[in-house]
Amino acid sequence: MTSLIFQGVLNGLILGSIYGLIGVGLNIIYGVLRVVNFAHGEFLVIGAYFAWVLLQYLGINPFIALPISFLIFFGVGYVMYFFLVPRMSKSDDPETSSLLLMFGVSISLSATLLLLFSADARTLNFAIEPVFFSFGNIILPTIRLVALLISLLLVCVLAYFLYRTQVGKALRAIIMNKDAVSIVGINAERLSGVAFGLGIGLAAATGVIVAMVFPSFSPFMGNDYTLIGFVVIVLGGLGHPIGALIGALLYGVTEQVAVVYFNSSIATILGFSLMIAMIFIRPSGLLGQRQLH
Amino acid sequence: MLTVKNLKKSFGGLQALKGVDIALPDQSILGVIGMNGSGKTTLLNCVNGIYVPDEGEIILDGVNLVGLPVHKIAGIGVGRTFQVPRVFQHLTLLENLDVAQVASQAGSDERYALAEFWLKKVELFRLRHNYAEELSGGQQKLLELARIMVAKPRVILLDEPFAGVNPELAQMLIGIIRDIPKKHNCAVILVSHDLTSIYQLSNHIIVMNEGVILTQGDAATVKSDPAVIEVYLGA
Repeated sequence: MTSLIFQGVLNGLILGSIYGLIGVGLNIIYGVLRVVNFAHGEFLVIGAYFAWVLLQYLGINPFIALPISFLIFFGVGYVMYFFLVPRMSKSDDPETSSLLLMFGVSISLSATLLLLFSADARTLNFAIEPVFFSFGNIILPTIRLVALLISLLLVCVLAYFLYRTQVGKALRAIIMNKDAVSIVGINAERLSGVAFGLGIGLAAATGVIVAMVFPSFSPFMGNDYTLIGFVVIVLGGLGHPIGALIGALLYGVTEQVAVVYFNSSIATILGFSLMIAMIFIRPSGLLGQRQLH
Repeated sequence: MLTVKNLKKSFGGLQALKGVDIALPDQSILGVIGMNGSGKTTLLNCVNGIYVPDEGEIILDGVNLVGLPVHKIAGIGVGRTFQVPRVFQHLTLLENLDVAQVASQAGSDERYALAEFWLKKVELFRLRHNYAEELSGGQQKLLELARIMVAKPRVILLDEPFAGVNPELAQMLIGIIRDIPKKHNCAVILVSHDLTSIYQLSNHIIVMNEGVILTQGDAATVKSDPAVIEVYLGA
């Protein structure tokens, strides 16, 4: 039983790190722009299809597809920002407008995916040797361990960017006070574009990891990932990029350990109960005291 | 040299500025006094681009600032503080000053050296790794001043820098503001209700009333102007 629990914790950390990437991207976009990106999961699914297309038609390894997807979708997000967000911010209630607009974008994107790739689930025909890795009684697919390492590496790079570079600090500053950022000479609009691009790029890169780790993906999965993203940012602290990772690890471990004792339905209920409990006990989330806005 | 010519700004039917002219020589301090609603803060908001004036020119070193976005005006050399400080609460003091140097071409060592210089100047150096939210209101005003100074501005606009500041900090702030024009080649527009500080610091004072300049001159002229005594001092 102990080894099962340990396996559950490891699985939870792996899934949590992937969920963390979703939450971090979502939180950067919300924190900087106050945009409720309901289409975040769809960009993740697009990332998964992007990796599939590159592998299927060009023979490009998903590990190479990952940085490519990040860069391309960073650009897409940056351009999208200037089309979508400044107009929304003129609304009387920009957060609600953003939710509705991004919900529309979400539906459009998943319909486009359906049109392009049909409803059939796809699989990334990719494996690394050895397929499984064992520590005593614990057996894990090697790709999941690699995914954990990549996710943690991405979070470390992102944390370095946000906390150690001048632009990263400016991004955190804009979360706190957009007007003051302009007053010190920073082009807040351009920086907001960077934030949106970063969030979308991260979503697409996470999609590549999801395609590697999970057996299949389809055009309809986006909403599930968006929902998980919102759960983890509520747990970690709305608007706090690193809080999202902590919330995600907590959610992932709770869910996966619960699977060991109960079943997947109970695990889902427990995961969401955790979010409800957090809203009641500490509405600002785990890192709420250190919130960035 | 900052020159403001015939500056007008209205909000609906309210004319906040009705044609204000200012000439601010380099390395000088211009004190701006006036009753609440006289147009002092609107004047500052027009100069640093928060408001776009309806009419008039604002020229800094030959560049017309009217219509430029706030960040560009800051980049040209206009720094601004606020009555309620707008520091980045969850960044450390050093990070606050580093972010303010984004436009600078300097490397991180040079940026941090300048940040440390100003933190020492405002006596916040020992708190450099603390978050800005941990500072008192007065200390946040000092931090905000340091934050605009690291950008090496040509003109700084100080909006009520002494409001809510304890007397000890206010004295320090007066000393720092007095030194800024000559030591850092920067002109200052100082808006304050604290007449003593205005008289101590300003080379020239303008008195605003209902969007116009009621009178102007040195401290002695302003103090003895009957219109000022009547309208501003209420005596």
